[in-house]
Amino acid sequence: MSRAFGVALVAAGAAFSWWEGGLHQYSSAAHWSIAAVIALVLSAAVAFGWGRQAATAGAWVRGPLPVRRHLAERRRASVAVVIWIVLALAVVGWDLNSFVHQSHDLPTLSSIVGHVTSSRAGRAGTVAVWLVVGAALGLGWRRRR
Amino acid sequence: MTPGGDVWIGIGAALAIWVVASALRRDIPGPIAILRWFAQSWLGRTLALCAWAGAGWHLFCQRP
Repeated sequence: MSRAFGVALVAAGAAFSWWEGGLHQYSSAAHWSIAAVIALVLSAAVAFGWGRQAATAGAWVRGPLPVRRHLAERRRASVAVVIWIVLALAVVGWDLNSFVHQSHDLPTLSSIVGHVTSSRAGRAGTVAVWLVVGAALGLGWRRRR
Repeated sequence: MTPGGDVWIGIGAALAIWVVASALRRDIPGPIAILRWFAQSWLGRTLALCAWAGAGWHLFCQRP
């Protein structure tokens, strides 16, 4: 990717985020623009990632399974991964608990994010982060041809 | 502040501490390493992209 194309892509992402930040979540423009971004990222992931994944799906699934050997060789990294899993389960579990109870005293994660996205700058910033994560997941870490 | 909000602050603080720890120590995988792990194969990439798409639709098109 050339430097000029990269700069243009970042500028387009920033402009889109600011425009999207001014929309309401129930507007049709918000719906079609988010759907278009999702379709674009999924299409780009297939078009640019075909035959360029680092591992097969089977190898990826089997990867974490030799846990005992991994624990012995890289103990600190293994413990770190366990802590990540515990933190992720804490987020998911507490969000589910809050959603099930539907109480004002138990806000869900999306209602907390909703306070951030209620302003234009907050919504635009959240959209920008979402775009960066989507671009990384769709196009990042492919094998060279 | 609600009791549930206090729990979210605790979880957020723990996440922040762990992200900082992962930035300071090379042997602790950080958030980018987790994204990279999911992006290693079509299966992981597809799962992560589905979660990403669902989160985007929920946050920007549905959340009341």
